[in-house]
Amino acid sequence: MNCPNCGTNNLDNASVCVNCGRSLMGGAAQSYTPPPPPSYGTPGGGEYGGGPAAPGTVPNYLVQSIIVTLCCCLPLGVVAIIFSAQVNSKLAAGDIAGARDASQKAKMFAWIGFGLGIVAMIIWFAMSGTAVLQGIRDAQANR
Amino acid sequence: MIGAVGAWVLYTYAPTSYAFYPRCPFNWLTGLECPGCGTTRALHQLLHGNVEAAFRLNPMLFLGLIPLALFSAPSFLRGRTPAFIMKPWFAWMCFVVLTSYWIVRNTPLYPF
Repeated sequence: MNCPNCGTNNLDNASVCVNCGRSLMGGAAQSYTPPPPPSYGTPGGGEYGGGPAAPGTVPNYLVQSIIVTLCCCLPLGVVAIIFSAQVNSKLAAGDIAGARDASQKAKMFAWIGFGLGIVAMIIWFAMSGTAVLQGIRDAQANR
Repeated sequence: MIGAVGAWVLYTYAPTSYAFYPRCPFNWLTGLECPGCGTTRALHQLLHGNVEAAFRLNPMLFLGLIPLALFSAPSFLRGRTPAFIMKPWFAWMCFVVLTSYWIVRNTPLYPF
């Protein structure tokens, strides 16, 4: 990452800048520091100014996608994982716009999967309402 | 606090015997097991100290998720994303492992 103070390029896991000593910790906030002035003639930079994006500036939602896959058990989680992986591949290939696009899709599918999982769970509880009540009664009886 | 209550409920009432636990929608709709199926039962067994029974309920949880969580915890605790999460090989590996595990555990090939 580039030091927000002096602009020196540091290793991604560096905690302080090798040049000026400024702390580089701060996680997410680090990714959203104002970008350097856009390089002229770079097409379509959008909000990020078209500069080279450091790894981590485009969130890949991989962790969220895996959680949705495991906890909401919907194939949509797997779709989200595919888009997460595309974010990584496209970032590695330097395709920032494509990575951002895949990032949006990963986020969308993870949320749809999460929402459908919650809906399915509500339907499950509604349909098995008597069974649930019976279960609680059994639980109390067996104490 | 919520975790302690959850652990107590999970310890006292076996998920196999009581219906008030959330049900995996995929398993409910299709009758097949998803990659996360067995987690609640495995946690119940773990709380009772039955590591082997827990392992059998969802081996991938133990072989994959727990080492990963331990490995990446220091980064997350410092508010950073571990670098390997952004690597293409890692994300594609997650996809391959999860989908193949999903398929294999629903076939007779599955050893448990």
